[in-house]
Amino acid sequence: MKRHCLFLLLIYMLVFNCEKDDVCPETTQTTPRIIIEFYNINAPEEIKAVPGLFAVGVDSTDNEVAIHNELVSTRSLIELPLQNNSNQTKFKLYKSYDIIDSVINGNPDEITITYNIETLYVSRACGYINNYSIQTFSIATDNDQWIINSEILMTLVTNENEIHVKILH
Amino acid sequence: MKSMSKYFISFLVYLGLFISIHAQEVNTEASDSIVVQEKYGLRLGADLSKIGRSFLETDYMGFEINGDYRLLKRLYLAGELGSEKKTTSNDYLVSTANGTYLKFGVDYNMYENWAGMENLIYSGFRFGFSNFNQTLNSFTIYDINSLTWGQNEFLDNEKFSRLTSGWIELLLGFKTEVLTNLFMGFNLQIKGRLFETQPDNFENIFIPGIGRTYDSGKFGVGFGYNISYLIPLYKKSR
Repeated sequence: MKRHCLFLLLIYMLVFNCEKDDVCPETTQTTPRIIIEFYNINAPEEIKAVPGLFAVGVDSTDNEVAIHNELVSTRSLIELPLQNNSNQTKFKLYKSYDIIDSVINGNPDEITITYNIETLYVSRACGYINNYSIQTFSIATDNDQWIINSEILMTLVTNENEIHVKILH
Repeated sequence: MKSMSKYFISFLVYLGLFISIHAQEVNTEASDSIVVQEKYGLRLGADLSKIGRSFLETDYMGFEINGDYRLLKRLYLAGELGSEKKTTSNDYLVSTANGTYLKFGVDYNMYENWAGMENLIYSGFRFGFSNFNQTLNSFTIYDINSLTWGQNEFLDNEKFSRLTSGWIELLLGFKTEVLTNLFMGFNLQIKGRLFETQPDNFENIFIPGIGRTYDSGKFGVGFGYNISYLIPLYKKSR
């Protein structure tokens, strides 16, 4: 009888205990954000940082949406998350963003990115990710535009190690 | 719910053991005649564990009928025909696999019975074949930056039909005659997948007959808790 119990215990361990490989590893390539790098309009091969750069999302009803982990800083590179259930995402990119007496200062330019979505299966634990294929990248014209021009360098957005769009200012 | 089913199954297993030990005690007093006749025939049964799980687990429905035919003193032709439907869900995916399977092979009785007893401790071998479909009920996009725009659940209900898989299986189990011609048995199965058709841009999460699949390899485990009835066709002295 003792032996039977041991055998049953073994069966238990086999059948029930080695069940979970259901946790998505953090090293898994996630849905990539679009990477934009800023260049000098007078010397298009020269990287030029934007002072006080800050981005906010703009939803379909023109409300501003705060981008998670987005902070004001002077930099030449920005990562923007695209909406995964729409073919278009709008952002406002501020130059010299500052809040003085709860009034927003700075120069916002609105950009619109349109794209096709490809949904790819990763694994049972992580499910699906999106890859994007950029169709258009446009800048709304205004009287005080700091973004002069743009260029799509990489149509396919599959990872965050590549620069997808170049902005000239 | 899952832990309840575990206790239920373990209860059934111990019940089976108890009955088998009890049955042996009774049968040891059998006749000591010189010519011992053994029954040959067709044994048909069902897997009680699958019926039990169907009642206890909301995301599982399964049924299996099984049979064996005694070919030689120790060798049985054996087969199973079953149907399973299982919904698997985690943080990102909900999918349902539904289909039928057929297994056939042989069982070899390793147990030397006392006169008048016809119990089995057997090892077996099967070829298995499953024909199923899998529905991707819903999914969310894996996106660590989803806090900005919010996580969206996509109700897809895309059905991947005509999926197949084949496997080989090794069994170890016992069958005990608890009443005349009525057997209770338990077996453990180790399965190795030979082939499968994968759905496009998805994968087989659960395969009827095999059970859940693993990222780590092509192996799976299973068990059966069977009740079966022997239809004796002829007798043969041993």
